[in-house]
Amino acid sequence: MPSLLELKNVSKIFYGAKGRRVRAVDKVNFSLQKEEPQIISLVGESGSGKTTIARMILGLLPPTEGGIYYLDKDIYAMDKNERKEFRREVQAVFQDPYGIYNPFYRVDRVLEIPIKKFNLATSKEDSQRLITEALEAVGLRPKDIIGKYPHQLSGGERQRVMLARLYLLKPKLIVADEPISMIDVALRALFLNILLDFKNKYGISCIFITHDLSSAYYLGENLIILYKGRIVERGKTNEILTNPYHPYTKLLIKALLPPDPEKRILTSIGSDVRLNEDIAPYKENSCHFANRCPSSMDICREKAPVAVKINEDHEVRCFLYDEKG
Amino acid sequence: MKQTQLDPKLIIGGIIIFFLLFLVLFQPLLNKAIIGDTNPLTVGIFPMYEPPSLRHPLGTDRFGRDILALTLLSLKYSLIVGAIAGAISTIIGIIVGFSAGYKGGLIDTILRGLTDTILVIPSLPILMILSAYVKALNILTMAIILTIFSWPFSARVIRSQVMSIKNAFYVDLAKINNMSDFEIIALEILPNLLPFLGVSFAGSVVGAMLAATGLEVLGLGPSGITTLGMMINFAIGQGALSMGKWNLIFPPIFMLVLVFLGVQLVNMGLESTYNPRLRR
Amino acid sequence: MEEILKIENLKIYYRNVSGLAKAVDGVYLNVYPNEILGIAGESGSGKTTMISGLVRLVKPPAYIPEGSIFLNYKRNGDLLKVDLLKISENEMRDFRWKIISYIPQGSMNSLNPVLRIKDQMIDVILEHSDRSREEAESMVPNLLRSVNLEPNVADLYPHELSGGMKQRVIIAMALALNPKVVIADEPTTALDVVSQMSVLSTLYQVCRKVNASLILVTHDMAVHAQLTDRVAIMYAGKIVEVGRTTEVFKKPFHPYTKALLLSIPTIEGEPRRLEGISGLAPSPTNWPRGCRFHPRCPYSKEVCKEREPEMIEFGPGHYVSCFLYGGE
Repeated sequence: MPSLLELKNVSKIFYGAKGRRVRAVDKVNFSLQKEEPQIISLVGESGSGKTTIARMILGLLPPTEGGIYYLDKDIYAMDKNERKEFRREVQAVFQDPYGIYNPFYRVDRVLEIPIKKFNLATSKEDSQRLITEALEAVGLRPKDIIGKYPHQLSGGERQRVMLARLYLLKPKLIVADEPISMIDVALRALFLNILLDFKNKYGISCIFITHDLSSAYYLGENLIILYKGRIVERGKTNEILTNPYHPYTKLLIKALLPPDPEKRILTSIGSDVRLNEDIAPYKENSCHFANRCPSSMDICREKAPVAVKINEDHEVRCFLYDEKG
Repeated sequence: MKQTQLDPKLIIGGIIIFFLLFLVLFQPLLNKAIIGDTNPLTVGIFPMYEPPSLRHPLGTDRFGRDILALTLLSLKYSLIVGAIAGAISTIIGIIVGFSAGYKGGLIDTILRGLTDTILVIPSLPILMILSAYVKALNILTMAIILTIFSWPFSARVIRSQVMSIKNAFYVDLAKINNMSDFEIIALEILPNLLPFLGVSFAGSVVGAMLAATGLEVLGLGPSGITTLGMMINFAIGQGALSMGKWNLIFPPIFMLVLVFLGVQLVNMGLESTYNPRLRR
Repeated sequence: MEEILKIENLKIYYRNVSGLAKAVDGVYLNVYPNEILGIAGESGSGKTTMISGLVRLVKPPAYIPEGSIFLNYKRNGDLLKVDLLKISENEMRDFRWKIISYIPQGSMNSLNPVLRIKDQMIDVILEHSDRSREEAESMVPNLLRSVNLEPNVADLYPHELSGGMKQRVIIAMALALNPKVVIADEPTTALDVVSQMSVLSTLYQVCRKVNASLILVTHDMAVHAQLTDRVAIMYAGKIVEVGRTTEVFKKPFHPYTKALLLSIPTIEGEPRRLEGISGLAPSPTNWPRGCRFHPRCPYSKEVCKEREPEMIEFGPGHYVSCFLYGGE
């Protein structure tokens, strides 16, 4: 069945000094279907490989192993026309609302370039109209934005202009890499709502990359939990969060701070959950979570676990559930 | 919060450079004011070895040439040679530096090898040999010879600047906008390096001037014109040092010092304006 | 109960290219012994500027045109009261680290990369107290243990530690000399969820153990809910609401507080559509006339555009400045 985007056994190995090898991404597989727009959240901490995956999907970093396919075409083997179509239909919003702007130019350029490069307008007036409409669609006043330089706008405004850019382009797929972690809480809600509107009103799918489970929960649908380059649990968001299997998922859920003073977990945390950071090196052929896992067994340090299907909507990679292990 | 305080070094250096450029631009007029319509190089017009006077503020040399007029003309030619060499050097440096810095990989390795090789070769002896062998040494050939050894400096520095910018997020955004490599280099990276390239160019000019002066003092200069280095060479040849005729040798040296000082002050001033931690 | 810090009419201004920015514009706040006080607000609200004022680390072009910060403390058995803004820099230096400790934003990245952890901790102790090197060295293992780090961390370099571990080292250093007040500015931004939990619970434990008050500045309302006894909501350079955390969360008074609480995503309870706050955050060089929140307030009335509301006590220990609660 043709998919919108598919990652097949994708790995990325970085080579450091003294011949050190780091498998930042380890044989990751997932896909988005073509028929219905969908949102899939990739949740992981720093070091999980999530940003590396984002860059590979966006065509910025070729995988060391495996392939990434857009509409069944390998994105690193596309010709010029296929590439143009890919770029037109797969777009991104990044984490840093500061670094994403070239300080030399006004912010309008960020909206003008896609129009020019992808022939979205027929004339200068048409182009202006599109820009105004896009800015208003994300709640900005055009006269406050047009003609300004990046340093004259706030972080929230800058990130919203990026959303306006997506509104202009109306791609088929948005890769959002930690888009809300550097903006204020009030704006985060707006941002998430806009992503949902994009899907519902314009059929735009989204890969939402974050370390924050609660925003993944708000967006709903599908969830992939990443730990040190591997997918450890995946499935429907609701299913996983009400019924987590992997010890790491459980840890993430436990670490979520409920915004309710009546439900305090921090002050009674004790040491039942092993919170020590994992700075010890781990072997490639083992479960990467073993050093921190409260339920680790011998086999966890000797072999890498394989995926086990819990049900139609739920898969986990952990020896606790692997009868064959 | 933008600090609009200008470092005094920048202002003083700027004044010096403007002064020098003024001298160069208005050299013909100034020449007219000093010695009328005569070409300062013409020999035998004025009395020889005149000490400084109202008529000849810096005196005259062995060939009866007014030193002040000669100095101004020499300054002009020295700067021209330096500017041409600096420009070619910077252009080559940009092409090599951007290609190596942006592309990385094999291209970077090859270009870096080339750059490092040239940097290691002792330039002065080779330049001496080249200058001695080239039949007609005019301004352009001189400039080209100087460029051979100066482009690696700017290439190296430009490369590292490009490398630091190419990982900027806005470069990623440009790629997602389907911009070509060339567009990215020219439209995204280059504009942010303009101030840096300006400083780099100034540095190349000064470097070329000093290298040229080194050659000219040894007698290897372009024919038909006069430069600051050649003036020094003539002065030494005329026994200025042994006879104590400071007015023959001091003016060109003073001009060289001014050029160097001006550019250095501007460099230092720019650095501390952009890097407030260096400010006192 | 006598407060340990009493901030009165604190103002911190600075000049920039757009004009005079009134980042902190008349803040009144009390801090009591042994309490955890949260200061909440978005970026641009002035909270970071305000606490840099508390420790007198306001650097030009920012300046303090008005205000007092009274510190009540004990020295050799005597109760003393001093206005931190009126004393000399030397006297202030005496208070820092020993009575008031400050953990600025991003401080985990300010560890010296070429020194081992223990050397940095010893340096801090030696510089701010009269202890000898031997004494300082002997304090290190306990300090590390108090922040849930293994003592062998002392021999490591900063780059060998994770973000959360570095932050806990900073906390250990801040509490080394048993201060009475600890101020932490966004101590867990840029940390993973799990590290955040360990850093916050560590901070809580240590402050409670040494009986220090903690002023916790963060825009993350969930952190306030979890840790603080009282919380102050800051908007546009002023405090708009302050009260016991349980009260403020259960019955928020100020429309801004209500909107803030409605915009936090969570996995508890029924899924509901999150609401943002309409409009844009105002600029410190041009605060709106009257109540500063009125352009974005769904309840604004005529008077809100003309005058600024006073802060009144509308519930026990629960203060708000909003015309919805009187003061017209």
